[in-house]
Amino acid sequence: MDAYFYIIMVVGLVSTVICLTAGILKKAPNDTTILSVAAVELSLLVYLVGSIVRVAAGEPIAGEPWEFWGYLLTALLLPVAAVYWAILERTRWSNFVLAAVGVTALVMAARMNQIWY
Amino acid sequence: MEEAKNVTAKPSHEDIGTTPGAVPQEAVASKSTAAGDASAAPVARDTRNTGPGRLLIAVYAVFAISATARAGYQILTKFSEAPLAYVLSAFAAVVYVVATVSLAKSGRTWFKVSVAAVLVELVGVLVVGALSVFDSVNFPHETVWSLFGRGYAFIPLLLPVLGLIWLYRRRPAPKRT
Repeated sequence: MDAYFYIIMVVGLVSTVICLTAGILKKAPNDTTILSVAAVELSLLVYLVGSIVRVAAGEPIAGEPWEFWGYLLTALLLPVAAVYWAILERTRWSNFVLAAVGVTALVMAARMNQIWY
Repeated sequence: MEEAKNVTAKPSHEDIGTTPGAVPQEAVASKSTAAGDASAAPVARDTRNTGPGRLLIAVYAVFAISATARAGYQILTKFSEAPLAYVLSAFAAVVYVVATVSLAKSGRTWFKVSVAAVLVELVGVLVVGALSVFDSVNFPHETVWSLFGRGYAFIPLLLPVLGLIWLYRRRPAPKRT
C-alpha cells in the first residue's frame, strides 16, 4: 500500500463518518458533507495525476494496466454521481448515499494498489 | 418511524427533481387516488426512488457497475477456466442492472420488474452461496454470490432482503375498478 492509498483511506473514512453522522442527525446534505465528498474526489485526482506521472516516468504496472485505469476512472465518477444524486433530493438519506462514496473509494483504492504492485 | 415523515415530505422534493418518469408516475398516482386510497401520499405513492430507496438504488448501482466490470473482465480474459462460474457472474451483473434501473423507475410495471429482479437476486445468492460451500469442486471460482457474498462484506445477501422490505413498504395501491 502506497501513500496514495493512505491519503484516500484517511479522506474517505473521514468523509464517510461526516456523512453518516449528518444522516443519523437527520440533516440534509450541506456544504460540510458535500465538501467532504469533494475531498475524496480531490484525493482520487491526486492518485490519477500521480499515476500518470509514474507511468510517464517508466514505472511498470504489475497487473493489467487497463484494469487499473478502469478502476481509477470509475472511482473518479462515483463522487460526482453521488453528489448529483444527493442534490436532486435533499433529504437525510442522500447523506447516506454520500457516506457510501468514502468506503467505496477506499475499497477501490485498495484494489488499485493490488493491481499496481 | 421517521421514514414515514420522510415519505410524506417527499412531493416537494420530487417537484424540484427532474425525474424523467414524472408524468407516468402522476398518472398512476391519480388513478390510485381515484380508486379511493386515502392513506396514500398522492404523488409519491408509486415511486421507490425517494428516501431510503435512494440509498438502496445507489448501493445497487455500485454492485451493478462492479459486477458488470468483473464479469466482463472474467469472460474476456479467462472464460475457459470456469465457464459456469463466469456465466453466473454475468447473470448476477444483469440482475443487478435490472434491479437498479427498475427501482429507480416509478409505476406498477417497474414495481413488478423490481420484485422479480430482487427475488432472483435472493435466490441466486442463496443457491450460489450454498453451492460454493457444499460443492466447492465445481464452484471454485469467485462470483459476486460465492460464499453468500463474503468477498463483498455480505452486502449481496443483505441487499435483496432490504430490497424486498422496501418494495413491500412502497407497494402500489391495489387496483380496483
